[in-house]
Amino acid sequence: MKLFLDMFWYFKQEKWRYIFGIILLMCSSLMSMVPPYVVGIIVDAIRTHTLTSAALIKWMSLLVASGLAAYGFGYGWRMYIFGSSMHLAKLLRDRLYKHFTTMTAGFFGRRRIGDLMAHATNDIRAVQEAAGDGILMLVDSLTMGAMVIVSMSVIIDWRLTIIALLPMPIMAWAVNYYGSLLHKNFHKAQAAFSELNDRVQENISGVRVIKAFGQEDAEKENFRQQSEDVVNKNIKVAKIDALFDPTITFIVGLSYFLTLLFGAIFVVHHSITIGELTSFTLYLGQLVWPMLAFGILFNIVERGRASYDRIQALLKIKPEITDQPEALEAIPTGDVHYAIHTFSYGESNASVLEAIDFTIKQGETIGIVGKTGSGKSTLIKLLLREMDCHDGDILIGGTSIYRYTMHSLRSAIGYVPQDHFLFSASVAENIAFAKPEASREEIIRAARLAHIHEDILNFKEGYETVVGERGVTMSGGQKQRISIARALLMNPEILILDDSLSAVDARTEEAILHSLRHNRENKTTFITAHRLSAIQHADLIIVLEDGKIVERGTHATLMTDDKWYATMYRRQQLESFVAQGGMSS
Amino acid sequence: MNENYPRENLTRKHVLRRLLRYTAPHKKQLLFAFIILILATGADVLGPIVAKIFIDDFLTPRRFDGQPLTLLAVSFVCLYVFTALFHYLQLINFQKVALKIIQQLRVDVFNKVQHLGLSFFDKTPGGSLISRITNDTEAIKELFVTVLSTIVQSTVFLIGIFIGMFALNVKLAAYCLIILPVLFVLMYLYRRVSSVIFRVTREKLSQLNARLNESLQGMAIIQAMRQEKRLRKEFDHINTEHRDASLKNIKLNSLLLRPAVQLIYVLGIVLVLSYFGIQSFHLSVSIGVIFAFVNYLDRFFEPVNSMMQQLMNFQQATVSAERVFGLLDETELAPTQEGQSAHRISAGNIEFKNVSFSYDGKTEVLKNINFTARPGETVALVGHTGSGKSSIINLLMRFYPIEKGDILIDGKSLKTFSDQELRAKVGLVLQDPFIFAGDVKSNIRLNNASISDEAIKTSAQFVQADRFIAKLPKGYDEPIGERGSTFSSGQRQLLSFARTMAIDPKILVLDEATANVDTETEEAIQTALEKMRKGRTTIAIAHRLSTIQDADQILVLHHGEIVERGNHQELLSQKGLYHKMYLLQQGEAEVTA
Repeated sequence: MKLFLDMFWYFKQEKWRYIFGIILLMCSSLMSMVPPYVVGIIVDAIRTHTLTSAALIKWMSLLVASGLAAYGFGYGWRMYIFGSSMHLAKLLRDRLYKHFTTMTAGFFGRRRIGDLMAHATNDIRAVQEAAGDGILMLVDSLTMGAMVIVSMSVIIDWRLTIIALLPMPIMAWAVNYYGSLLHKNFHKAQAAFSELNDRVQENISGVRVIKAFGQEDAEKENFRQQSEDVVNKNIKVAKIDALFDPTITFIVGLSYFLTLLFGAIFVVHHSITIGELTSFTLYLGQLVWPMLAFGILFNIVERGRASYDRIQALLKIKPEITDQPEALEAIPTGDVHYAIHTFSYGESNASVLEAIDFTIKQGETIGIVGKTGSGKSTLIKLLLREMDCHDGDILIGGTSIYRYTMHSLRSAIGYVPQDHFLFSASVAENIAFAKPEASREEIIRAARLAHIHEDILNFKEGYETVVGERGVTMSGGQKQRISIARALLMNPEILILDDSLSAVDARTEEAILHSLRHNRENKTTFITAHRLSAIQHADLIIVLEDGKIVERGTHATLMTDDKWYATMYRRQQLESFVAQGGMSS
Repeated sequence: MNENYPRENLTRKHVLRRLLRYTAPHKKQLLFAFIILILATGADVLGPIVAKIFIDDFLTPRRFDGQPLTLLAVSFVCLYVFTALFHYLQLINFQKVALKIIQQLRVDVFNKVQHLGLSFFDKTPGGSLISRITNDTEAIKELFVTVLSTIVQSTVFLIGIFIGMFALNVKLAAYCLIILPVLFVLMYLYRRVSSVIFRVTREKLSQLNARLNESLQGMAIIQAMRQEKRLRKEFDHINTEHRDASLKNIKLNSLLLRPAVQLIYVLGIVLVLSYFGIQSFHLSVSIGVIFAFVNYLDRFFEPVNSMMQQLMNFQQATVSAERVFGLLDETELAPTQEGQSAHRISAGNIEFKNVSFSYDGKTEVLKNINFTARPGETVALVGHTGSGKSSIINLLMRFYPIEKGDILIDGKSLKTFSDQELRAKVGLVLQDPFIFAGDVKSNIRLNNASISDEAIKTSAQFVQADRFIAKLPKGYDEPIGERGSTFSSGQRQLLSFARTMAIDPKILVLDEATANVDTETEEAIQTALEKMRKGRTTIAIAHRLSTIQDADQILVLHHGEIVERGNHQELLSQKGLYHKMYLLQQGEAEVTA
């Protein structure tokens, strides 16, 4: 029950909803005390032949009124209590989302998206259930149970009440016991199911091998056996699950029996009337739910508790990268100077970058090349402050990038990442992602610069075509060019192309590079690439190897140096020649 | 969820009928369960009647004869014991049948998928296929296990109660029948309204999850482009819409479910009391009958509540069933033997005759391919990515149907061989050796019972896989996890070689791996490949030209056409594409193009 204490901030925040909800819930329970009572009175009146039509009308009107009131109360408390739990779910979801947006690359690198999704869906649902059903069951099992017992003992007879209640604790115990038993077996059944899932997964991924070796029939037989295992484990679950209802029926039946037996004795001794005995049995029927609720309550709270803790743990994680106090709001501009001594992910790990020192003048283009894993992307990510370098600095216009707010730093940078990620929105919205208020002219201009305009016009709905699963399927090259247009629309001080021309053909690459040169006067451009043709016109080219600069210069000087760059360049020339089927390029 | 998977549009009625057809093999067990259900209900319904007899015949007249009273008490307790017992039995029996039905459905879908063509797998994401076989059938399980059984049980129980009522008082029972149309109207109303609201809520939820998922994936971009605030606002918007839809759902449930049923219950009590009350003005009334009626009414509405709650699940299950049946009706089957001939592959002569092929029916990936591989010869395929090498292998393996031209093995069309003959005589070694979870032995043998442990060892020795297997703690019984991730890629390749050698094929189809392996394993792989090719007709895709210098014939492919052919020396002297590729791989950079 500590969960309810932990969530008290919310109950406090929504105290009126909860207070009203709980009051209405209690009123609704109170209303359900009326029918058994009236039944008892009428039965006695009929038995003693004292019933008048006026009395009958009076009591029946009371019944109808209580029924209507119960309907109203029942509607009301549900809206308040279940409604509040929905508000809570929304609130937590918003908080998580906001929290995710403040987390840095390191955080996302350590966690799988599937797990984060599970927190935002399953865990929130469990908390929502605890705040809704949990509160309902807590209040209802206590108040309704108390009301019924009080009604039985005060209106009718407390001795009979005790006798009739004797078997009831067995029920609460049984429900709880079955619950834990069910839980265990349910886990086994789930495990069998996920094994089945793995098997299907393996079967689908290995479809070629299976077909090549003619294993279809054997696979079918395996699957049949494994699905049989799932069935057997589920039958075990069913066997426990099927215990609930009959047990309840039996125990309630036992209570009825005791009630009738001892009730009859009381009737004979004139302690109670037959009418009272009748209403007593009806009250007894109303005790089933509070007993059940009490058993279920623990399960719900337990699950809610675990989920709530997971959500809180997630929310407590502090963002790794934040603005310095009194950071500059101005947008950085000027020469970019890298002065990094060493950089590594985490304290103990080997350094990823070492002795990186170069300056790129405003308006120039720098090309960064090197093998996969040589540190190209890390170099770029430091500039974007996806992570911070603690041994060294990067300066723009003579001022450390760490002195700017992240907002102003990032305003200066247009970033085209390696994995051209597009959002499921229209092409126009994707291009205008960084500047949603951009006019159609701006969007088209950016698209033209990225040489994607013609392609877009060929899409079914032009700029309104939706990207993503539901929409048009685009080639990698088209996606890359849209991401380039997205960055160009910002008209940024610094443009970063992180290996983002890899999927476009040589001619388009040349055309894009050409338009960049002519439309970005006085603006700096970073290009990393595997294909050297993308950077051969850069003002400065640096070659990275194991995080160190091993060559630097222009295309011409590097070719004369005749080291890795020159070898690679000639190799790629030959490769493109072969790729074109031996035709000279 | 986004469903790209094209599915047939089956009407809901049709789906239900098809689902119900699955109950046919279980008729006997279902009948048994049904009989027990009726017994259980009967015992259950008799309880209030026994109570009525007690009240009217013993309690009211204050006549407590020992023996009949004891008999009554015993029978009352027995009734509850029987009720509990029978209920337990019927619940289990219904569940068993339901689970068996789902197993059958699952096996059917799985079996169907085994015979679908690779062209189908190409265009259907694996994830959606897996979810048809497991998750969708699981949703249908709910339909059988919970929905249908609740409806059957509740209906029988309601009928039982009415029979009890009629036995007690025909006229009043007839009046009580009026509750039924009221309930039907309520259910109808609920179903109509809820289906709309329910759909909206689910749509909003899937939008919400999709947005969250997308934001998590694209967070780097969102942050780099400073759009956190805007996206938070957009998320909040969807979140609010989802909450509002959920609130509507709660509102609907509060208006039409439990509270409404509770109200009808109270009105039912009013009906019964008024009836007896009015009757009591001029007749004497049996107190026991009132007792029994009121008790019946008390228990009448729980099954009603459970039935109404199941209506929502019903819709979810039908959607899943539509998808599953859509897959079962899929027509894109894997190509198989045409006709009944019992042709055998004995020599292993392969001939491609004017073969053209296209995956999508638009762009041809193979154009008029002609070549012959004589028994025991090695034919190597080289070319750039997308040149058509893999397509040649795909056709030879009969993964795709041949549309133009023909492939002849030992002079007979590929189409005329039985699956069995083809799979036993044509061995494929894939570029990415797929390793199954299990152990070393089972990965070599697969499910081929005719391969003895001895044969497994022989083939492992043959490809020199025995050396690393011997070093494993449990040798051939060493367990292997998913995808064989504990082994190096070279070891995985050797395993897959052994797998192919175990069936001792006449024809070998090799898709050489590009992955880098350590030198020691690389040597073993090369020796193994050489040994494997000996005495077998081999079609090999080669990425490293050094490995195929001794091939009898090398085909250079470009854009689906054979542009050069001949042996290594001949091709080198042609100074064409092959020559350039060779130079490139030799690490020779200086070429004047």
